[in-house]
Amino acid sequence: MAHLLNQIFDWFAAWLGGSVANDSVAGYVVAALIYLALLLNLVAVGALVFIWLERKVSGRIQDRLGPTRVGGKFGWLQTLADGIKLLTKEDLIPGDADKLLFRIAPYVGFCASLSAFIAIPFAGRDFPFVAQHLNVAVFFVLAVMGLEVFAVILAGYASASKWSLFGAMREAAQVVSYEVPMGLCVVVPVMLAGSMDLVHIGDKQQGWFTNWYLFHDPFTFIVFWVYFTCGTASVNRAPFDLAEAESELVAGFHTEYSGLRWSFFFMAEYGSMLAVSLLAAILFLGGWNGPIPVASLLGLTWHNGPLVGYLGNFLGMLNVLAKAFLLVTVMMWVRWTLPRLRIDQVMTTCLKYCTPIAAAMFVGAALWHMTLPDRVFAGLLQSPAANRLLAEPLPGDSIQLDLQTVEAATIARGGRP
Amino acid sequence: MNWTSCLFLLCSLMAGGFAVAVVLSSNIVRMAFYLVLSLAATAGLFFLAGADFVGAMQLMIYVGGTLVLLVFGVMLTAQSQFVQMRTSSGELLTALILGGALLVVLVSTAINVPAWQPTSNPAVDSATPVITATPIGMALEGYRVDQLTQPDTALRRGMSGYLFPFIIVSVHLLVVLIGAAYLARAKRPVVERMR
Amino acid sequence: MTTAQTIEIDVRTDEMLVNMGPQHPSTHGVLRLVLRTDGEVVSEVMPHIGYLHRCAEKIGENLTARQWVPYTDRMDYLAGMNMNLGWALAVEKLMDYQVPERGRHLRVIIAELGRIASHLVGMGAYGLDLGTFSPFLYAFREREKILDLFEEVCGARLTYSYLTVGGATADFPPGWLEKCEAFLDQFVPVIDEYHALLTTNAIFIKRTAGVGLLSAEMAIDYGCTGPVLRGSGVDYDLRRDGEPIYTSMYEGYDYEVICQRAGHYPKDQEYPPVPIEAVLGDCWHRFYVRMLEVVQAIGLVRQAMAKYRASDGSFGEPMKLNQKLPKGEVYLETESPRGQMGFGLVSNGTAIPWRARARSSCFCNLSVVSELCRGCLIADVPAIVGSLDIVMGEIDR
Repeated sequence: MAHLLNQIFDWFAAWLGGSVANDSVAGYVVAALIYLALLLNLVAVGALVFIWLERKVSGRIQDRLGPTRVGGKFGWLQTLADGIKLLTKEDLIPGDADKLLFRIAPYVGFCASLSAFIAIPFAGRDFPFVAQHLNVAVFFVLAVMGLEVFAVILAGYASASKWSLFGAMREAAQVVSYEVPMGLCVVVPVMLAGSMDLVHIGDKQQGWFTNWYLFHDPFTFIVFWVYFTCGTASVNRAPFDLAEAESELVAGFHTEYSGLRWSFFFMAEYGSMLAVSLLAAILFLGGWNGPIPVASLLGLTWHNGPLVGYLGNFLGMLNVLAKAFLLVTVMMWVRWTLPRLRIDQVMTTCLKYCTPIAAAMFVGAALWHMTLPDRVFAGLLQSPAANRLLAEPLPGDSIQLDLQTVEAATIARGGRP
Repeated sequence: MNWTSCLFLLCSLMAGGFAVAVVLSSNIVRMAFYLVLSLAATAGLFFLAGADFVGAMQLMIYVGGTLVLLVFGVMLTAQSQFVQMRTSSGELLTALILGGALLVVLVSTAINVPAWQPTSNPAVDSATPVITATPIGMALEGYRVDQLTQPDTALRRGMSGYLFPFIIVSVHLLVVLIGAAYLARAKRPVVERMR
Repeated sequence: MTTAQTIEIDVRTDEMLVNMGPQHPSTHGVLRLVLRTDGEVVSEVMPHIGYLHRCAEKIGENLTARQWVPYTDRMDYLAGMNMNLGWALAVEKLMDYQVPERGRHLRVIIAELGRIASHLVGMGAYGLDLGTFSPFLYAFREREKILDLFEEVCGARLTYSYLTVGGATADFPPGWLEKCEAFLDQFVPVIDEYHALLTTNAIFIKRTAGVGLLSAEMAIDYGCTGPVLRGSGVDYDLRRDGEPIYTSMYEGYDYEVICQRAGHYPKDQEYPPVPIEAVLGDCWHRFYVRMLEVVQAIGLVRQAMAKYRASDGSFGEPMKLNQKLPKGEVYLETESPRGQMGFGLVSNGTAIPWRARARSSCFCNLSVVSELCRGCLIADVPAIVGSLDIVMGEIDR
């Protein structure tokens, strides 16, 4: 994208009598700004939609209507009204607070939540919709999302309130622990795809829903649920919302926050909910490959030209977003149904159940993959030819190891767009 | 000026600047926070150099893991709400001498090693494929992708990989984990038994 | 004689004093708990009360017996009808007055509906304490319907002053009984929703079973009453074991005291089974007793409605506002939803009581909190306080 922009700039510059180099900083800055604007919009508008949805979902679950007035029939402008309220609210900083850290903390959280989207692709194949196509995207996303805990710790510490400190302590203990089973769960699809590249993982599941890693074998089916549990815990959603447990800790780490700073915490929370759900959608639910491959049935593939392929990718993007929205809605459903766990029970769930289950499922999936390679849908179906075209054989796949292929595959996979 | 040097400058200035801030700050939690930013900027340098894996590793282990525990530990052990660190002038002097000496060594090395001299080529040539984490992973499992041209089969295959050291390190880490769990186990109250 | 001794040094952390309340989401009003915590573990809980003191008893010494009725339903504002009943019966005991048959059944209907309404708040708010919001609204949806019924009989939704000395201020309006019947028919299946959302929910059981264990001895020693006492397995209910003037109200009614006898609750095969983790006297049992009392209250209301229809005559004659009281001293306890609510009255022969006193059930129930919370986690404190189902208005008066 940056090169394309530089070429456009060069074209304009030539018109004025100058020239712009192919790797000029201008193209990169503009490209970065475009990506940033798109992602910011996704996270911010996503938060708007999710907060409205949360109100609506909770309302329906609780036999209420939820918002009905602001912006017409469904109250769809309710969040905007809330935002205006938050903007005009008095911005309070406790007298004893560490003012610098208190001010910075919400932005740290939001940055961490937003950065995760840099490496998350929304469509794959020849021209992936991704801000930065990273070779280790899965790892990057996990690493960056782990940084969000910093915001909570800093907020809890800087608030100079005991309740905030309790919230921060709980958050730190919880998030650091849940990274372990979550990482173990993520490793399973990575192993099946043979790559940490999210674009590659998504592309490997193309075709019908039978190719989703969720249905790859019984082990991955269980792993998905473990991942979803851990994901819910790592973004502090009920029943794991201990850091802000309102019946115990008043409001936990954001007790002392008000106005816009508080809403940044909320945006970060909804942003990371979306990030976790997107990751689940790409890793287990086929990503941009629908239950029914509409795009390829309609012929919207890259073989038929870039514009058509682009359209197909656009459909894929809608697909992956729909899946992520569905998962976020499930999180809301869970939140408004279940009571909250106690801190020791949260840790027990993580260390005694999630981690061993994830580890066992990892071993099981590895053995399954070894005994039944190239089969999907619980081993019932042969993986489609299209899949085999994409999937480069890996060292463990076949006995006749062709190292030249391995090298070719390695280089091919490392190639950047 | 191309984009690489631009971003390099930005990241290195951030890393250096926040490193100085760590030294100059007297509030221990703020120090940790500046250290986070400095290490994150270092991760940015890794990403810039095309070492995605090391960059993500830096973020996960140093920024996400170690420092969270550091801040956590500071918070829990702090006697008062906000800890101020006072440095005596003697300590300051020692630190300055040691730090200065290290700086001199590093700078002189950086200048004197011929391989590290700037070349006419840009740091990252977008035409050549970037070497990714896959060779690292395969080397850890015993396949050295960079040794594919080796005529000797034994060297080309398992012999040249890092499977054995990898296993040793993992077992070592496992032992450390078990040891930590043993040390941190719930203590039972001491029951005095009279015989 | 040497003793081998291993000295193990545990990681010691500083203890911290934390104020839970008086402004806190889960202290049910303005209760202030000072927690001494060691990390997440609570080593000591000191309840501080008095933030809602409104001198109700002193006011009672300046008003006539009937004028004080509106003050009683501001004590336990979640069960105002039962408060009215308690004071009315105490004054009636002094006056040696017997409410006519029809009024007796009217009182049972109202009192048991009040019990349901009160337990619905207790149940819903307990869900809130444990971090789930929906049961609260499910409970309030049904409570609102009871309040609608109450509004129809007396015009108020919270401070009724309906049951009064001598009977009630008015008879049921025409068609009210049918509405009440319809409500009960609709309410019975809803209880299964509560059981699904709370009683049998795995997380709910994990949070409440074995938490806040109150043994029967301790409950008696601290003077706990009501569901807190029966949740510990003590078979005691003033509706059966109280003074004749109160128990005569329930004469001829078919009901059982809800408490576990020989490992079984009455008719417990109809309700979700007791989980294995639950120990008699824990938060889960206190909650369960309330749930079963709701079911039983439905049965009592149904019986009372049949009896009310069958009876005829007056529902009672409310005493005049400035009617003189006979000289004497009485004290009467009734079974309010939260426990034994006692009213004491000393009269010197004038219309205005010389002394008017109230014995709070929640006060005694709250007094066990420091005992129950010793060594629990912070998250257990709301769980325990919530299971005691206190109302600060009644404690502070």
